[in-house]
Amino acid sequence: MAARFSGVLQLTDLDDFIAPSQECIKPVKVDKKPGKAAAKIRIEADGSYFQVNQDGEAQKLEKAKITLNDCLACSGCITSAESVLVSQQSHGELCKVLALNKAAAAHEQKLVVVSVSPQSRASLAARCKLGLLETAQKLSTFLKGLGVHHVFDTTFSRNFSLLESQQEFVRRFQRQAEDKQALPMLASACPGWICYAEKTHGSFIIPHISTTKSPQQVMGSLVKGYFAEQQHLPPDRIYHVTVMPCYDKKLEASRPDFFNQEYQTRDVDCVITTGEVLKLLEQEGVSLSDVDPSPLDTMLGRAAEELSSHRGGGSGGFLEHIFIHAARELFGVHGASIHYRPLKNKDFQEVTLERDGQVLLHFALAYGFRNIQNLVQKLKRGKCPYHYVEVMACPSGCLNGGGQIKLEGESSKEELQQVERLYESLRAESPEENQAVRELYEHWLGGWGSERALQVLHTQYHAVERASSALSIKW
Amino acid sequence: MPEALSLLCRVSAHPESRCWALAWSPSGALLASCGGDRAVRVWGREGSGWACRAVLADGHQRTVRRVAWSPCGQFLASASFDGTTCVWRRHEHGFEVVATLEGHENEVKSVAWAPSGSLLATCSRDKSVWVWEVDEEEQEFECVSVLSAHSQDVKHVVWHPSQELLASASYDDTVRLYREDEDDWVCCATLEGHTSTVWAVAWERSGQRLVSCSDDRTLRVWQRSEGHGGGSEHSWQCVCTLSGYHGRSIYDVAWCHLDGRGGHGVRRRRRAVFEEVSPVSPGSPVTFGLAAHVPRAHAQDANGVAWHPREPGLLASCGDDGDIAFWQYQRPEGL
Repeated sequence: MAARFSGVLQLTDLDDFIAPSQECIKPVKVDKKPGKAAAKIRIEADGSYFQVNQDGEAQKLEKAKITLNDCLACSGCITSAESVLVSQQSHGELCKVLALNKAAAAHEQKLVVVSVSPQSRASLAARCKLGLLETAQKLSTFLKGLGVHHVFDTTFSRNFSLLESQQEFVRRFQRQAEDKQALPMLASACPGWICYAEKTHGSFIIPHISTTKSPQQVMGSLVKGYFAEQQHLPPDRIYHVTVMPCYDKKLEASRPDFFNQEYQTRDVDCVITTGEVLKLLEQEGVSLSDVDPSPLDTMLGRAAEELSSHRGGGSGGFLEHIFIHAARELFGVHGASIHYRPLKNKDFQEVTLERDGQVLLHFALAYGFRNIQNLVQKLKRGKCPYHYVEVMACPSGCLNGGGQIKLEGESSKEELQQVERLYESLRAESPEENQAVRELYEHWLGGWGSERALQVLHTQYHAVERASSALSIKW
Repeated sequence: MPEALSLLCRVSAHPESRCWALAWSPSGALLASCGGDRAVRVWGREGSGWACRAVLADGHQRTVRRVAWSPCGQFLASASFDGTTCVWRRHEHGFEVVATLEGHENEVKSVAWAPSGSLLATCSRDKSVWVWEVDEEEQEFECVSVLSAHSQDVKHVVWHPSQELLASASYDDTVRLYREDEDDWVCCATLEGHTSTVWAVAWERSGQRLVSCSDDRTLRVWQRSEGHGGGSEHSWQCVCTLSGYHGRSIYDVAWCHLDGRGGHGVRRRRRAVFEEVSPVSPGSPVTFGLAAHVPRAHAQDANGVAWHPREPGLLASCGDDGDIAFWQYQRPEGL
């Protein structure tokens, strides 16, 4: 089981994932009942614990449970224990919910929505030897057969993440003189990186992280906000599942910032990885290529004829979109061209916009733990020359996420290249030109750059205090 | 047999603390020691004895576990339980910190310079081994790889004497080897055999063999065999296990690079006041005989040993008593 879980434990011979720490120090709270006598603990055959006091009175003890939230609050590890993920967010949990939903009375039934990431779709397509559109259409049929009502694509919500990131960068750039922490702006879409930054570098690095929500969490807001309204349902009557290339997306969905207090519901209720979708298929004995295609759903109710993507690579294209937008908005350069210059390794590259020998914009992408380390150390020493850095925790970015499917009998490098080729085969659209996105900004978010847009599409980060635990020292 | 190793002198290096490790400068003129007092000390010859030439006290907040000289002798790296590695530059009047390498999540256990001087390796209780690239002009150290091959605390790292091949020893009972692959580093071999923590490894001068020492009270000698097809891949086999010489955990091992003299272990034990230091000489290619051993070499656990790089037979050892002891080894008749 363990081998199937956490990006840390899985993946490839690219040995550069952020590893879990030995110090899971979730403090277990024990509610002590008053009493001076020592008590004995008895363990029953079923594994339950009883406290037996001197009078022989036995009291069942509560098991300590660790939730995903505890993992986020603890500085002990960087990613969480696999057992936690299993119990709260897994394909097993999804099956359970779907079964309960089918059995429930009509007025208690939930509307089940699945949002599939384009990275997961590419990985599935490579595995099933299908085209991307076919994969999307067949997956939709398969999921609906299981009791899912709507299947969306998070490429749609990524439009919002890209547009908001562009705006945010321009705002930060313009206030860099008075705010020393405005730049560099660091990408916020990767939850592995966010978790690491909050736990290891806390208040020092947080001001630099873009406040824009990731595509997954924008989708969460759209589904539980706009879509719920359209369906005349309260948010807690919708069960929202995402399919992601990454285990840390489960942590992201569990953040308290994405929990609706009023309705006691999460924006994303359950995250399953691409690999778990494959397990679902195997569990149902279904081969995706045998499934009939069905039309794709869109949030605004029109059928989608084709899939589209964004320029700038498998991690979402944040660097390229912000670069082109900033070149235009700040320096009047239209259609700025992008030339990547590899630095120490292929996962650390930079891009500049120059005019008369002067560097106007200096961007970089830094993927994988080693490059994150060097970036953070540069920042600490005040030697970071960049305005924006697209930071991703996985080497090679999201297409190589820990939750992706490993193909059989092929080396991981070829496999990744195949997924990349598929991913890049789609037409790239410009987020500014998406009609549905415009409509939502106008009618639902109260206009471009409105207070409501800021509130719905942005989030915040929290430094995690490092517990100074003096665990038994090993020399 | 004990006469083969005679005590030359003893200095109280880290008084009222432990002395954890020793490192000779490449020329052999200086010996660096580090200890539980958070300090690194540098020793030089004075008359027939050894005197402290410098105390490097302001670099670390906790125990300094290992020290390593750069091949040029101008830099000294110190690995500390405070989670950092300091790089010190030697100048006329002493040493100054030129870089502090941060990134390990907790205790750094060991540090080593590659023979070229352009790479540095560190390892930690966080289970990882890091390779750093040295930019000597800028005094910058950039992390080029984070290797998570071990499943437990990594105790020791050491570079091949002439190639960019790195070995690490761990609490997971294995030794692992790493080499560069395109723009990253990969684990290219795992040496399994020890039944408990591997505390340290040492290369033979040729780099064809290495020796590991363990909590399982054995030393193992590993031999490299070239793979078929003449590629860079190679495999390692344990050709000799030295057991029965040490009654307790062996904490450090050093391979003399001056002649064929073999591995050499130090036993450390808790609570007891009974120690031994024992050099071993190779008989035939795959057999080693115990050449000398000294019970009570240190009043408490012995932690580290180092052969002098130039003077045949000169050996230094250190222990929990805070002392450094200097020894002269004479090859006994018949070995």
